[in-house]
Amino acid sequence: MTEGSASTNAQSTKPFSAEDEAALRESLRRCSEATVNAAIAFRQTGATEHLPVIILGVVERFVDPDLRPKLADGNSDGLRMIDDLGIDSLTMMEIVMLVEEVVGMSISNDELRNLRTLGDIKVFIDCKARGVPPPAPAEHHGIESILQRMPIQPPFLFLNEAEVSESGATGKYKITGEEFFLKGHFKDNPVMPASIMLEALGQLGVFHLLTAMPAPEGQEVGTNTIFFTSSDGVRCHRVCKPGDVLTLSMKPKRVKMPLAVFEGSIRVDADKAVVAEEITLTFGFVDKAAPAAPAAASSAG
Amino acid sequence: MSRVFITGIGFITSIGNDASTVEASLRDLRHGMVRYAPFDRENCPVKVAAPVRDFVTDSPDSEDWTIPAPYQIRREMLRSLSPNALYAACALHQAIADAGLSDADVSNDETGLYAASAGSPGMLARNLNKMSQAGVMRCPPLGVVASIAGTVQFNLVAHFKIKGASTGFSSACASSTHALGFAYDDIALGRQQRMFVIGAEDGNAETILPFASMRALTQNPDPDTASRPFDAKHDGFVGTGGGVVLVLESEAEVQRRGVTPYAEVLGWGQASDGHNVAISHPDGLGLANAMRRALKAAGIGPADLGYINAHATSTPIGDASECKAIRAVLGAHAATVPVSSTKALTGHGLSLAGAMETAFCALAMRRGFTPGSAHIAELDPACAGLNIIRQTLPTAPDIVLNNSSGFGGANVCAVLKRVSS
Repeated sequence: MTEGSASTNAQSTKPFSAEDEAALRESLRRCSEATVNAAIAFRQTGATEHLPVIILGVVERFVDPDLRPKLADGNSDGLRMIDDLGIDSLTMMEIVMLVEEVVGMSISNDELRNLRTLGDIKVFIDCKARGVPPPAPAEHHGIESILQRMPIQPPFLFLNEAEVSESGATGKYKITGEEFFLKGHFKDNPVMPASIMLEALGQLGVFHLLTAMPAPEGQEVGTNTIFFTSSDGVRCHRVCKPGDVLTLSMKPKRVKMPLAVFEGSIRVDADKAVVAEEITLTFGFVDKAAPAAPAAASSAG
Repeated sequence: MSRVFITGIGFITSIGNDASTVEASLRDLRHGMVRYAPFDRENCPVKVAAPVRDFVTDSPDSEDWTIPAPYQIRREMLRSLSPNALYAACALHQAIADAGLSDADVSNDETGLYAASAGSPGMLARNLNKMSQAGVMRCPPLGVVASIAGTVQFNLVAHFKIKGASTGFSSACASSTHALGFAYDDIALGRQQRMFVIGAEDGNAETILPFASMRALTQNPDPDTASRPFDAKHDGFVGTGGGVVLVLESEAEVQRRGVTPYAEVLGWGQASDGHNVAISHPDGLGLANAMRRALKAAGIGPADLGYINAHATSTPIGDASECKAIRAVLGAHAATVPVSSTKALTGHGLSLAGAMETAFCALAMRRGFTPGSAHIAELDPACAGLNIIRQTLPTAPDIVLNNSSGFGGANVCAVLKRVSS
């Protein structure tokens, strides 16, 4: 990591020559003009605002032409490189090598392992370029972990698993058909209510606040302090039925005690199901429970 | 022991990229030589090559290559292909269609693939240059599998989902006849029911020009006479590339599928000169031994031969040595058995040569002709006493012997028998 930021700094202090530009254009010749321009601008100025365009352009160059339209969607950061973009581990190496070459940094195998989504890559490269430590990799939580932490419980919990990092959370919920409300919504035609889909996003937001929100020393987000406040710009694009697996995504846009504003979306496979421009939750900090308690419990167990 | 048959062939060559074009070239003695642009530079006295038609694979970036219809290669496959693996892949598509094989026939435990290639020296050189210039971690991740000697079978076994035996052979110009011989053994011994036998070479400056300094290449700048095996003025070979595939099947599979084979492989033999790393034995000792062993394995004598497809590459030493070997083996029949070298038309395909020439023989047997030896104005006296046919004969031979010789004095010969339809 230090090595990467050091080489980036070295890059920015060395003048960007015509030969460098020619080499850069050659390396990026299968990428869009916007990508090339962003790369030149980054190499000249070191301004990290150009990085997302560069990364998107490099990824696009390696994605199968049939799948490229997915990247044009404004909300592409949640796309998983392997599952959604058909990138295998060797192609991932090619992407990383081209990004390394273009932005002038090196990425180790360990670092590479944690980059699962397009958003992960953007955040990671941005941190490296700015010389700050990248956020901890997303942590996976199974249903046990979710049940243990959440104030919401079955039959009103709509989250089977989740991946959480500081920059956001993704989760999955499979509509089983056994949900009690599907008996009446609708008669002989079970359809997941839009309100419940919004609820599922809200629950993922709650889980994010409980597991990834930085808190003042000695404090944590209180389980019983979180409530729904508002939502804005909610659009449903697809009817979801039993058997569908909802892929939920929540990203914090603005967080300032006591409000956390998220941008949320739900997909089913490649289909967009729900977009919520803003979902706002309120939360509060409470003093952490004495650390002696869990230790005692574990020694007792 | 199962009998072994050739049931399908595929051609990507300097004289045609399908069987009918190849047949027309062989019948009309149309060669594939050109003044080759990559040789048009100072300090390169070699001017002629026989490049593969319609494909353009000069660029270091395989996404720039021109691949003619009907072949389409996705990037995920293309990135690990050398030019010769690309040619081989296209030839394999052709051979599978020609043999009438289903996906299940191609991918099962009883079907294997043997390939012969020298790898891709051009890609290897570019990757190593990139490594020294840009750094160890900046080489193409698939550079190794796209360039080392096994590249053809690595790519094809993975792409065509081959489940049986697979390996590669690297005995230089004898390689793909070795592949044919060992594939024959696997079927004859019941280890496999079907084998794809592949010879493939890039046929570009990097594979051909290293032969210049050993004076093995002709410097004749005229494409019409540059390759002339057995001619008094032969002075070196013309390089070529491409990919050729033979489908070998057991008698049981031929019967189950109800197909008419091109030919039966009767047997094969090999022997080594034990003489010189790069020069043929002056008396053709190893080659004569290999021919005798092939005839013995096939259960035939010299009198049974209807045609010999000679290895003759158009070098004075090699052609003369082979003629001595043929005379020694044929004895009293030397003046009657037709002999020709199709390298006058194709140039020398190195690892490709054996499979390509075996496929020519199989095609000739099915289509009813015997390919002639082109470009002989005046026979080299060292090649006298043999029935070297200068025109294509309009009849098919019943039994064919195909010779191959490689560096290190490796000699391999295979015997084919016509299948009456």
